[in-house]
Amino acid sequence: MKKQEKYNSVPVKPDEITPKHIYQNRRTFLKQMGVVGLGALLASCAPGVTSTPSTSETLSDITPSGIGSELENQLTSKEAIKGYNNYYEFTTNKERVAELAQDFVTEPWSVNVDGLVENPGTYSTEDLLSNFEQEQRIYRMRCVEAWSMVIPWVGFPLHKLLEEVKPTSEAKYVMFESALVPEQMDGANSGMFPFPYTEGLRLDEAMHDLTILATGIYDEPLAPQNGAPIRLVVPWKYGFKSIKSIIKISLVVDEPPTLWNIVAPQEYGFYANVNPNVDHPRWSQATERRIGESGRIDTLFMNGYAEEVMPLYEGLDLTENF
Amino acid sequence: MTGRKKRFNTVKWLRILVNVGGWVPLLILTIKYFTNNLGFDPIQSALLRTGRYAVLFLILSLTCTPIRKILKIYVVSVLRKPLGMFAALYAGLHFAIYAIWDFQLNFKLIWQAIIEFPFIILGAITLLILAILAATSFQKIQRKMGKKWDLLQRTVYIAAVLDIIHYLLAIKGDLLSLQGNYTWPLIAASALLILFILRIPWVIRTLKNLIFLRKETRQR
Repeated sequence: MKKQEKYNSVPVKPDEITPKHIYQNRRTFLKQMGVVGLGALLASCAPGVTSTPSTSETLSDITPSGIGSELENQLTSKEAIKGYNNYYEFTTNKERVAELAQDFVTEPWSVNVDGLVENPGTYSTEDLLSNFEQEQRIYRMRCVEAWSMVIPWVGFPLHKLLEEVKPTSEAKYVMFESALVPEQMDGANSGMFPFPYTEGLRLDEAMHDLTILATGIYDEPLAPQNGAPIRLVVPWKYGFKSIKSIIKISLVVDEPPTLWNIVAPQEYGFYANVNPNVDHPRWSQATERRIGESGRIDTLFMNGYAEEVMPLYEGLDLTENF
Repeated sequence: MTGRKKRFNTVKWLRILVNVGGWVPLLILTIKYFTNNLGFDPIQSALLRTGRYAVLFLILSLTCTPIRKILKIYVVSVLRKPLGMFAALYAGLHFAIYAIWDFQLNFKLIWQAIIEFPFIILGAITLLILAILAATSFQKIQRKMGKKWDLLQRTVYIAAVLDIIHYLLAIKGDLLSLQGNYTWPLIAASALLILFILRIPWVIRTLKNLIFLRKETRQR
């Protein structure tokens, strides 16, 4: 806790927090986005910078949204984001997911959007990349296991897709389903979990501007271990809500079944909002370990997004609806 | 004379093996720490490792008595104490990492965790028992305590059961439906169960008869 106070009051040079090579990497990334210097303030008066030609490994045309720019000096290293993953379809060992997922085939890929919508459709990754402006969003990611990261996502708000398919007035929830390819996923046949992984949001949560479908991290397309080619990111909820490698999005009437809620309903609720005041039955959620730093920091209510998302939960008992 | 000498040598070598071997995991952990090889969440990794070593040594220490009683290999009994001491050592390290490295000695949070979460309470009680057993394991104290000492040492069974439950509860998933990666804690639980069964007098007698009668018939 002391550490956090220090964090807020003492100005820290970015290179003190982030390893230098990553920090420099980020510079390149920012340059590519056409941003000179740090922060959106400077960006507004920056001259038009020609972006470097993109390779297949690098994303181009990323619009800096400015959302999360205050977290820029806390970014978790690319190595950690790509090397420390929960993706139980591959393995429960976080540091082995990257290796086991490296040959996961994500091309071609299509996402079915159906259910209570006026314009159901099938979207390829290319459709999603070209139909919707890709913007950068720097979000905190808080895992229910009490560790966290700060991740510079690239993607677009889910509401843009939903506006295109037009949910009918009956639609109350959005259900998501992950790909399940047992031939390519070592952990999928273990019988340990009732795969496919499914998740869900209330329609208003799904329509919230902070909810995005991510297609990249830093300046790269998503790696398989991070949920390639397309995943959900809901920054005010525990990480398990941010379902990976989505193949299906359905608009439905009833609260959809969600994987962790099926497995252990007493521990993982449908809402799963980050809440330091509501503990997990087996451990406290008051603090968290930020990957790449030592010690613990206080967990923020709604992961720091309370101002934006609390209107969604007016009159809802957050302890009961955990 | 030669038989006694041979036995002495075996005891000596077994002792050396355990007393050196017990430090190896700690050495590896230390090297990994200083060479930044504990992964992206070194605290979690160190917690997991020390916890597993504590379980391992505790189970190993509980194998000595059945081996002695059933297989009549008497030398292993000298290993019970050092193996138990290493179990206590790794349990102590496990808690030290939790309290100092992870929670930065924030006693309010640590205390809250200990009293609020059954999962943590179980670990704390296990450590307490192991620490008391380690502290009273010296011969002087043993002699002073007499019969009470034997009774006290029996609490190791409670520690072992609580330790395994603590281990099972550390897994993300659902214990009742066994949904989750319970492989290692279940292996440990099975080992403990077998070791308990091997302490039932009837089982000991039957197994002994089975093993040694056969030997005798073969010799004939």
